[in-house]
Amino acid sequence: MSAFLIAAAVGASLFLTAYLVLWNLSQIAMSPVAAVYLWTHQRRNTRRARALVTRMAFRPLVSVVVPAYNEQLTIVESIRALLALDYDPFEIVVVNDGSTDETLSLLKDTFHLLAAPHAFVQPLPTAPVLGLYRSTRYPGLVVIDKDNGKCKADAANAGINAASGALVAIIDADTILERDALIRAVTPFLENSKTVAVGGNVGIANGCRIFDGRVAEVALPRNWLARFQIVEYMRSFLLFRLACASCNGVVLISGAFGLFRRDAVLAVGGYDATAIGEDLDLTMRLQRHFRGTGQRFRIGFDPNPLAWTQAPEDWRSLRSQRYRWRRGLLQVLWRYRRLIGNPRFGIVGLGVLPYAAVFEGLAPLLELTGYIVVLLGTLSGLLSPLFWQVAVAVSVLAGSAITFTAVVLSDLGTRRYMRGRDLVLLVIVVLVENCGYRQLNSWWACVGTYHTLTGKRGWGEMKRKAFEGA
Amino acid sequence: MLTIAPFERLTALMFRTELIVALGTIVAVIVERAVFAYWSAWRERTELRYRTLVSRALAGDDAATSALVDSPARHRLVLAALLILPLIEDRDPERISATRRIVGALSLVPIADRFLRSRLWWRRALALRALGLTQITDRSASIVAALDDRNRNVRAAALDALTDLQDPTTLQAVVVRLHDRSLPRGRRIAALTAFGTECEPFLLDLAEIDPDHRLDYARALATCGTERSRTALCLWTSDRRAEVQAAAVEALAHVGLDENAARLAIKALDSEHESVRAMAALALRHWTGPGDAAARLGRHLGDTWPVALCAAQSLQAMGPVGHVELQANAGRQDLAGDLARQMLWERQPQC
Repeated sequence: MSAFLIAAAVGASLFLTAYLVLWNLSQIAMSPVAAVYLWTHQRRNTRRARALVTRMAFRPLVSVVVPAYNEQLTIVESIRALLALDYDPFEIVVVNDGSTDETLSLLKDTFHLLAAPHAFVQPLPTAPVLGLYRSTRYPGLVVIDKDNGKCKADAANAGINAASGALVAIIDADTILERDALIRAVTPFLENSKTVAVGGNVGIANGCRIFDGRVAEVALPRNWLARFQIVEYMRSFLLFRLACASCNGVVLISGAFGLFRRDAVLAVGGYDATAIGEDLDLTMRLQRHFRGTGQRFRIGFDPNPLAWTQAPEDWRSLRSQRYRWRRGLLQVLWRYRRLIGNPRFGIVGLGVLPYAAVFEGLAPLLELTGYIVVLLGTLSGLLSPLFWQVAVAVSVLAGSAITFTAVVLSDLGTRRYMRGRDLVLLVIVVLVENCGYRQLNSWWACVGTYHTLTGKRGWGEMKRKAFEGA
Repeated sequence: MLTIAPFERLTALMFRTELIVALGTIVAVIVERAVFAYWSAWRERTELRYRTLVSRALAGDDAATSALVDSPARHRLVLAALLILPLIEDRDPERISATRRIVGALSLVPIADRFLRSRLWWRRALALRALGLTQITDRSASIVAALDDRNRNVRAAALDALTDLQDPTTLQAVVVRLHDRSLPRGRRIAALTAFGTECEPFLLDLAEIDPDHRLDYARALATCGTERSRTALCLWTSDRRAEVQAAAVEALAHVGLDENAARLAIKALDSEHESVRAMAALALRHWTGPGDAAARLGRHLGDTWPVALCAAQSLQAMGPVGHVELQANAGRQDLAGDLARQMLWERQPQC
């Protein structure tokens, strides 16, 4: 029995170690791919290239759709900032998704809204629209008041229905856009008629000084949870997504900011109200639709921060968010399981989805299992303490090295955190993040998996706060 | 307790490797940042040093130009950036001419020539952009030649350069590449936009001998056509391809209608193709001449959504005749009524 236990413990430890080594190696392999993409992007997207929009006689109308549910703290400032975007022509379609706070009345008072007739067809089904308001002061501002659809997807679909533009930008109500975000995002559509969607890097606004609805000064937040999320975002946006973007395999355009060809979104049926990660699901459906029908298409990705968003600063909100993300990932993997390994879907079927299933899907479960097996094995004397060294090496040290690579890429590409103090802090955050926070995330992912299996639903609550320095 | 000798050695190796990699990446972050900080500070200092001189030189101060000419060779690229980059947004001919004079005095053109021969595509692209922005027309041939460069980014930069150069001798080279799918679509359109109506005769000549690409010509004429194109566009409204018909009617909307064109546009409202009907509705937006355009548009308020929207917008733009038609439809309890009411509401004083 004892020999069997020892063999099982050693076998499990070796398997988990090999798995984690492979996972780390795959991420390290992504770094040069991401670096080349970033470097080429920076060389190509010069100031002159961005001036293309201003050199065009006719520019496409962009409709910026802002789903808003109980956003009284940030909505006015967000809309003011949107009205000052550097692009012409564009309209803003705010969708008040049955807010129970002062969101609608604040909008009405601040932007001089009047109930107005506004005709639009509704190709995407949504909860009933109660009324439509237009601003007498800002002709491009439309506010739709509708019944609560219990999800962002429903509100976004209502906005897409009412949008007049050939391009629709879907953003969160608390997203802060860079002044030239639309110019940057529209350019790939002008350059390549096959472009159906463009996503961008999303930065974390916590700690930044916000002035006039713009990020005026980038700084690290005081809150450690927000700091951890900054390095997580760097890793996610600058390794996996850039590597995917380099082969037209982007499967997630963040809900914080994405620009889509309206007809493409309508062709795939808009956002799915039953999807937990509606942004991931929509991007996946675009990939499936265009690859499945053999149409040439492109989903672009701008590695520069086009938008800034608020990260949760309390444990409860963060935990809810992570549960939701996990359920969203598993739902998408299950929904699109037929694509996995299918050569008809190109890099998405053969590379991105299998990677997501094997590593994103399983890694948290196996990582935690690994810690438990090694801990129990060592405590019971079955395993040598050497196994702990391996666990630390492949988990903490390799994890830190990968995150540092993302920090270097972020620094080379975007020069976000310019103060020396922030740099030192960033190094500390990376080291600390791998000693506890990451493992906690893995735990939340395991709980999220359990929720998925038991059919638990709900968005959880996200505590909102006004922007700093606003 | 289990210890395996090879595993032990592997573990030690792995631990050391990971530790070195982690420390190495920390060092990489710090070194990269230090190098960048040094380079930024140097550039900032250099720019600060020359900014006033550049402004004075651009204002015509010969002493300032001489001071710039005497600057060390290692400062040339910073100076080039200070002089040339503002021209991306500021296309004032006087400023361009003053910049070109200083660029010549600083011997930056030979540097651009050297960059044009570089094996690195980003250097070739940089040189092309600089030559275009400063409108150095005696390098037009090199820029046109770069349209056939092996690198697509360089080809795109060459097109940008021709857009900025606005040299009439390069016009033909731009127009014949209208269908060149290896060049970014938006930049091809931007180049045509920059040349404006000068492209029109070439486009019409080419369209005559190349009817297969009529769609592209029609779209181009929608950007830079004048009434001179009207006859050809009217002819194309009866092309067998629906997309050509739609593009021709759209271009007619841009160049403006005469009686014959308006008659054809009204006829196109009965097309079986939605895109043609929509463009026809759009083309009639300022037409108040003969024909029953307003009444016909009014009937299309109940058409498919894209056609109805274009019809409603045209009626709104038509003035009193269109308003009468909108009023007549405003009582309807369907989408056409909603559209009519929206268009009338938008014309009210509160908007």
